Amino acid sequence: MIVSAILLAGLYATMSYGLALIYGVMKIVNLAHAGVMMWAAYVAFILIVHLGANPFLVPILIAPVFFVFGVLLQRYVVQRVMGAPPISSLLLLFGVWLIMQNISYLVFSGDTKAVTTKYTLMTFQISGISISINRLVVFIVGVLALVVLRQFLGHTYMGKAIRATAQDKEASKLAGINTERVMETAFGIGTALASLAGSLMALIFAFDPDFGRSHLLKGFCIVVLGGLESMIGVALGALVLALAEALSVLWLMPALQDFVSFALLVIVLIVMPGGMKELVDRLIRP
Amino acid sequence: MRVKEMSRSWKLWVGGPVLAFLVLIPFLELQGGYLQTLGFLTFLYITMSTAWNILGGYAGQTSFGHATFYGLGAYTTCILTLRGIPALLTIPVAGMIASLYGLLWGYPCLRLRGQYFAIATIGVGEATRLLMLNLDDLIKNNSLLKGFLQKGVLTGGATGLMLPTPPDIQAYATAFYYGVMGLMFFALFVSWRVKNGKFGLGLFAINMDMDAAETVGVNTTRYKILALMLSAFLVGISGSIYAQYVFYIDPQTVFGFPMSIAMVLMPIIGGIGTLIGPVLGAVFYIVVQDRILTANLNLGLIKLSLSSLHLLVYGGLLVLIILFEPKGLLGVHHRFNIWWNKRKRRSLAATEKA
Repeated sequence: MIVSAILLAGLYATMSYGLALIYGVMKIVNLAHAGVMMWAAYVAFILIVHLGANPFLVPILIAPVFFVFGVLLQRYVVQRVMGAPPISSLLLLFGVWLIMQNISYLVFSGDTKAVTTKYTLMTFQISGISISINRLVVFIVGVLALVVLRQFLGHTYMGKAIRATAQDKEASKLAGINTERVMETAFGIGTALASLAGSLMALIFAFDPDFGRSHLLKGFCIVVLGGLESMIGVALGALVLALAEALSVLWLMPALQDFVSFALLVIVLIVMPGGMKELVDRLIRP
Repeated sequence: MRVKEMSRSWKLWVGGPVLAFLVLIPFLELQGGYLQTLGFLTFLYITMSTAWNILGGYAGQTSFGHATFYGLGAYTTCILTLRGIPALLTIPVAGMIASLYGLLWGYPCLRLRGQYFAIATIGVGEATRLLMLNLDDLIKNNSLLKGFLQKGVLTGGATGLMLPTPPDIQAYATAFYYGVMGLMFFALFVSWRVKNGKFGLGLFAINMDMDAAETVGVNTTRYKILALMLSAFLVGISGSIYAQYVFYIDPQTVFGFPMSIAMVLMPIIGGIGTLIGPVLGAVFYIVVQDRILTANLNLGLIKLSLSSLHLLVYGGLLVLIILFEPKGLLGVHHRFNIWWNKRKRRSLAATEKA
């Protein structure tokens, strides 16, 4: 139980970090994230079930495509409302999400789909705990992506520029950073992470065009829990949420699992908007 | 001055017959009561759109959780009616319970700003829906709350609740048609009073700049909560009337996310933060829903059922409105007026020259 919660947390972290990156750089809440996850799940479904691709390579193939999609979305749509109040960008991306959903309904119909591969039911045992290979690989791919991203953000010019823009946009502009380029790249990376998470989720969960809404909310919960701009925070937040969900299945009812995470989102937003970091700070310095 | 008089008489000339037509619809029995049902839905949605606009438009707090009020209103009415309380009496109770629920989640959530509030409301909406879906099972396991169940049922879980149908369904429907029409006018009156009163001024100030509003002495938290409760009251009543009109409710319809989306979309399409905008938006929404859900497009080779396109229409419209005309249909109308006047002036100048 705990192990599977940890494995799920890796996936949640991948999904949430995309949100956090976009929010950090642009102060935009990206509701289209859910649409991207859903689309990626469908693309993965086609590639794996119809074209027989290796399920664990597919996410890596999909991510670059969605990176381009994200860059274009930012350049031609989101960029236009950058100066407007933040709520209009939220509504705009909400509209984009609705469009994406509808396209999926048209192309794939509303049926629930699931990807089953030869790995789906495979498990192995470590000291009495059975672990699904599927989930383990999903976890590894997710975490690997985060590690690569961390190196990118820490050691390349673009990575540093992204972090600088997240800290202070105006000052970055003054320092000669092309912030528009930076925002496009950040949006692209965020979208790519969403697609990565979406295609990995397709291996674990069943999905339909409405897929992604509950995961999006969980993503918000994690991001707020973890504080907005740190990767370790996001990883911790993902862990807390995954554990809370696992425990809610144990103590309450399985049907209320999502209820717990949504309630957690609202409570966390209200009680500690600074996330766990703030809580820890408060505990250390009374 | 003369222009203003002319425009007023113009409005009277159009508005009068339209109103008369709306009043007469039940007597005309056009298309077997189809228009009457359409009218009922339109009035209901105008009420909700106007109600959402009080918080979302005037005060600028975008709520994606208004379906909670709609659903709560509907469930309150069903639960009380099934326990023998006259249905009409349950309407104000439904409004009040929705309003109290608004206080319950609004008090903490409204301290969040802008985008955070919007996200929190999505969370509240989904959490409420899931809770209602599973409430019966939860209560069954609790010895203290067991007394609320009637034959083992309170909310009916996913299957929902059913009300008994009255004997004369035609007269019943007609009564509700006028009832909801009255409700719509009541909502518009409330919205108008809010907009032109001190309360509305405070809400507009919050919308423009919350910190500045606070500095000038607006009790922002209290204003926002009052706006939410007022809005919730109207939406709760709408839900109650809906439940009595269709006799059947379940959590997915009345608490569903699409319901919340509808309430966000209508005022934005029509013109957010105005009195007439939400009305236009709701009419547009219903007409699109009604036409699109029934139409089939025949493009030679491909037959396209338009019912599968409604999200595309709303989403596309939302994107276009945010990108190009944040004031919605009213803004388009305004632009058209400017263009029209310019043209008239130009042609006037041309004739004078000649």
